[in-house]
Amino acid sequence: MRRSPLLVSLLAAASLGAAPVDFAHEVVPILRKHCGECHTGDKKKGGFSMNTRASLLEGGENGAVVSLVQAQQSKLLEAVASADPDIRMPPKGDRLSPAEVATLRTWIEQGAVWTEGFAFKQPAYEPPLRPRQPVLPAAKAGRTHPIDRVLDGWLAEKGAPPPPPADDATFQRRVSLDLVGVLPSAEEAQAFAADRRPDKRVQLVRALLARDVDYADHWMVFWNDLLRNDYAGTGYIDGGRKQITHWLYLSLLANKPYDRFTRELVAPSSDSEGFAKGIIWRGAVSAAQMPELQYSQSVSQTFLGINMKCASCHDSFVDRWKLRDAYGLAAIYSDQPMELVRCDIPTGKPAAAAWPFPELGQVDATKPRDERLAQLAALITHPENGRFQRTIVNRLWHRLMGRGIVHPVDAMQSRPWNQDLLDVLANRLVESKYDLKAVLEFIATSQAYQSRAEVLARDAEDKDYVYRGPRAKRLTAEQFVDAVWRLTGTTPAKIELKVPRANPAAASARKPVIEPLVAAPIWSGDIAGGRLPAAGEMRSFRHQLVLAADVDLATCVITCDNGFDLYVNGKKIGSGDNWADPKSFDLSAALLKGANQFVIVGSNAGSSPNVAALFFQVNVSLKGGARVRMATDASWEWTKSVPNARGTFAAAGKAKAATKAAEVVWQPVSLVKSEAWRKAEVRMAEMLAGVDGTSSLPARASLMKSDMLQRALGRPNREQIVSMRPNELSTLEAIDLSNGQALTSLLAAGAAKLKKRKWSSPEDLARWLYVSALSREPAPAELKVAAGMVGPDLSEQGIADLLWAVCMLPEFQTIR
Amino acid sequence: MNSPLPLDPSLPEPLARREFLRMLAAAGAATLSMSAPRLLAESEKIVQPAASADSCILIWLAGGMAAPETFDPKRYAPYEKGLSYERVLSTFPAIPTSVDGVRICQGLENIAQVMDRGTLIRSAVQPDLGSILHSRHQFHWHTGYVPPQTVACPHIGAWMARVLGPRNPVMPAFINIGQRLEGVGESEELKSFTTAGFFGGEYGPMNLPFPEEAAAAVRPPKGMDAGRFVNRDREFRRLVDATPSRDLLSDHQHESMLRSMDNAYRLLSAKERSAFDITLETPEVQKDYDTGRFGRGCLLARRLVENGARFVEVTTEYVPFFQWDTHGKGHETVAKMHAEIDRPIARLIRDLEQRGLLERTLVIIASEFSRDAMIEGRPGSKAKDQAFNKSGVMTSPDHYGLHRHFTGGTSVVMLGGGVKKGHVYGATADERPLVAIKDPVSISDMHATIFRAMGISPKTAFDIEGRPFYATVDGKGVPIPIFKG
Repeated sequence: MRRSPLLVSLLAAASLGAAPVDFAHEVVPILRKHCGECHTGDKKKGGFSMNTRASLLEGGENGAVVSLVQAQQSKLLEAVASADPDIRMPPKGDRLSPAEVATLRTWIEQGAVWTEGFAFKQPAYEPPLRPRQPVLPAAKAGRTHPIDRVLDGWLAEKGAPPPPPADDATFQRRVSLDLVGVLPSAEEAQAFAADRRPDKRVQLVRALLARDVDYADHWMVFWNDLLRNDYAGTGYIDGGRKQITHWLYLSLLANKPYDRFTRELVAPSSDSEGFAKGIIWRGAVSAAQMPELQYSQSVSQTFLGINMKCASCHDSFVDRWKLRDAYGLAAIYSDQPMELVRCDIPTGKPAAAAWPFPELGQVDATKPRDERLAQLAALITHPENGRFQRTIVNRLWHRLMGRGIVHPVDAMQSRPWNQDLLDVLANRLVESKYDLKAVLEFIATSQAYQSRAEVLARDAEDKDYVYRGPRAKRLTAEQFVDAVWRLTGTTPAKIELKVPRANPAAASARKPVIEPLVAAPIWSGDIAGGRLPAAGEMRSFRHQLVLAADVDLATCVITCDNGFDLYVNGKKIGSGDNWADPKSFDLSAALLKGANQFVIVGSNAGSSPNVAALFFQVNVSLKGGARVRMATDASWEWTKSVPNARGTFAAAGKAKAATKAAEVVWQPVSLVKSEAWRKAEVRMAEMLAGVDGTSSLPARASLMKSDMLQRALGRPNREQIVSMRPNELSTLEAIDLSNGQALTSLLAAGAAKLKKRKWSSPEDLARWLYVSALSREPAPAELKVAAGMVGPDLSEQGIADLLWAVCMLPEFQTIR
Repeated sequence: MNSPLPLDPSLPEPLARREFLRMLAAAGAATLSMSAPRLLAESEKIVQPAASADSCILIWLAGGMAAPETFDPKRYAPYEKGLSYERVLSTFPAIPTSVDGVRICQGLENIAQVMDRGTLIRSAVQPDLGSILHSRHQFHWHTGYVPPQTVACPHIGAWMARVLGPRNPVMPAFINIGQRLEGVGESEELKSFTTAGFFGGEYGPMNLPFPEEAAAAVRPPKGMDAGRFVNRDREFRRLVDATPSRDLLSDHQHESMLRSMDNAYRLLSAKERSAFDITLETPEVQKDYDTGRFGRGCLLARRLVENGARFVEVTTEYVPFFQWDTHGKGHETVAKMHAEIDRPIARLIRDLEQRGLLERTLVIIASEFSRDAMIEGRPGSKAKDQAFNKSGVMTSPDHYGLHRHFTGGTSVVMLGGGVKKGHVYGATADERPLVAIKDPVSISDMHATIFRAMGISPKTAFDIEGRPFYATVDGKGVPIPIFKG
């Protein structure tokens, strides 16, 4: 029903000359009773809040609600009086009485007088934008770390003691898993336990962070989740999605400063544009899922902890972001003018390119796209943008401490439980020039991080969080799988990705040598007349390499049709038995200044004579920067003799061996003319260039495509950004772990391998397993049960069952 | 319910039911208290409708089941060389059913005899999502939401698992039979809706792609006899008990992990696990169901529901260009599909009825969209034509069939579960375009109808990332009036 003009004028006349309305006593109760549920406090249905006078006059998505100029035209009055179900307010429940409507009418006519400072509910918390410099409380009990000063002060205010310190073993397991994703080996555990240096924990943190490859492997999990990058998944099928794997891995390997890292994602180049491009689904999609809006959502969530998903469709009901904010970011990215579309209905209003914090400056909407993106990237990483800094340090705190300072970590508009703590971390990031490893070191070297984990009560509520120490975290799928692989010796030989996993010995300042493959296929000189090598034929090949200086880095690639054993300076380096699967070895430690001896035994396979060949190449960087390269060519020599286990042909002082050595006849090799090994050559070239799926480094689950086991353990489909994985083990996951084929097979294979090792007793094996898996010795009662499972004959079944039982222990499945 | 299943004597007696329920309730509460999304407060105030069904079986004829070739026969034209597509609406003649005046296609003689057990909806419609891709429509049908979405959407099975919980605490609430998720085309797209989404893994599907291997999924691992399995679990518990300083470990997270391990062990040793073993049926029953993987899946579904499963999906499996995805040789392929589904579906209905379960089990037969011989998408839409033959006439029997996706009018059958019997809802035109001309049913309304049967309000909402996420889009799905009483 629409009011007739006559009715309007009659009503207007009725309120003329009325007495002043008492806002607090007459108006507030009406508004609170009829409007409060949807339009006060944090609630703003239709984008309209009457929380304060300013918000009342600002109106909602459909324009002004109260007009002071034409009071009678106020939509509010129409809505409260209307019977039309599309117009009436409140939409359900009791209508306003005629007296109540009259009161509101008079109040608006009189200028909507409002009690100074009154708000229906305190407005939603708005976090500070710029960095803050908190004043740190004095150190207590010699705990001088800034994090501890803040937390100890906070605890003292609450009258609570600081949580007790964790023991060395717990700390070592925790910090290894947190920083590089893998368990400390039994050897590392023993070495750390025996370490008497007072600063050994700090030393361990630094040593772990210096393991560039392990660090990159591990943090791929976090970043793939957060940047929704994966190696397979929705969208890749038809080019609607692009990986950033290579860029990401290199960035982590080099510990790229986070501001630069972010700029490269916000204003991307071709190798990092996958994040910005999002996922393009075939067919028609909702306006809120257009690639430009995806960009707006992803950039907001990942870097600023802002949820623009609601605002991509309509003004948010839950926070302050509006449709125009979501479209503002989208329009920066868009190469065409955009129109605001509300809930899939075009509004006819153009979207203006803008970012949400104009206090720090604004993007120039008139500039071309590339410039706009660069401006946005600069604004996001602006030194005064504390939101950007706080968002990432809060994520890192959450990863290490089990709970965010702002939590959930994507809701950065919420109040932190300790603002000073958040700012201390953010400032550390800035002081370190956005060095994420520095922030991780900062957290991990605090006493807070090194405290005993909080014991959560069964009915723990997350609402009113009180800090009581770090919280235990569940192993990620990747950590679990890596741990099982390592315990059982079943780590796959290959990773599926082609990412440059550099030499683990290389400090980040040192670049691995990258040179082309020049190795030529060689075999013994007796093939020169066209003879085909016999099946099972063995040949030894040798070459010397004289180095003028100490070795900085040396990497080799090698393959042989069909198998090889490689010896360097009287030491076996490795072997292979599949020519199509070339190997790469780190020879940095094996090579010395002066003459180095290379001996390679090649063997042919098959059932009748067939073509055979050896490829080998070593690239060396010497201290001082010189580079040396040596590869198989015509200058190599061969013999029919086969060396001893150390790859030499004479054992000093033994007459018999010396005699034998005299019989060794070395002759020049022949080059083999064949293209048969093209596939292997391509791989070796890739390995030398660092894009290697088969480096000698152990595979990591994070570099593999997801599989049933990893999915069962909570590795997500990365179609949406994932910043926190579930901490609980579900029943279906438990079923998979109890009888799934993947884990069962791994454990069976592992048991077979472990059985072959030398154990003095079942207890010996059980002790090793406890130290390796839990970083602690078993208690006597545990040792008894564990050894009993293995049995006196150390049966494979018993070992497999013990492996399973230990891997199922909550203690194993959590980082505490 | 009377379970005839034998208890494996080598396995320990499961905990008393009440004790088990108590533990599960604790597990549920614990899960809720941490990271899982909560039921919205306003949703708690919503009055949930009285359920007319306790279990739901979704028979999913993946790939686009042509309604005019199954449940909505139209003018039939037999194949002849040079036949114009314009003349072909159906390639199968119609046959009578147990409902007077209702006819379905030849080839479904057994199903025809059970049509009086439920309601035939002939007016389901789907939006035309651009190039009407199977996996996007399947996502839409299974979650109620058009992909992509900003949050991971739960499958309807996960909604039931989350809101209703398991019917029998040892039986997984959501079981998915017959769909491989690895090694088939568009498998990533399938995975994106075969999930509990933001509800979390506890409510996700137990996937059983091969019905004949289902028994193995709840058995001790291959190569491990029952004795060793029991022993392994016992020793595991002893290790847990022997852990020093248990006070440091006995927190919420550890307890919930151990509870999940317990739940798993219980299923793997409970008598209900024999529900997963279809070879325990008589050879006659097995043979009657066994038209292939799908038929065996129907038998498995029946056994699971008998033993307390909440939601079971059985599919003919989606593999691009196979099964119901007929872009060529449509008639021949659909005849094969008829043979694959006719006996097992009819037998499933009769078996449930005979056991007194049909009244409280909603069986749905559905597909992501229909097909037409000429029109691709909706009338007037410009989707890419993937049909085998591009000319206007058929020059080979391979051309005979409904080879184009059609979203304007699709059939869905709902049997048992408290829906009206012998009822037809909605209708499509008798001449091309065969669009719904009476009572069109959107996906939201279809879901509201299914949820209504299960006792879930379409307005039920969960708080995800601070905003409401409804069982049907914006809580606006409305059940169609096909319920008794």
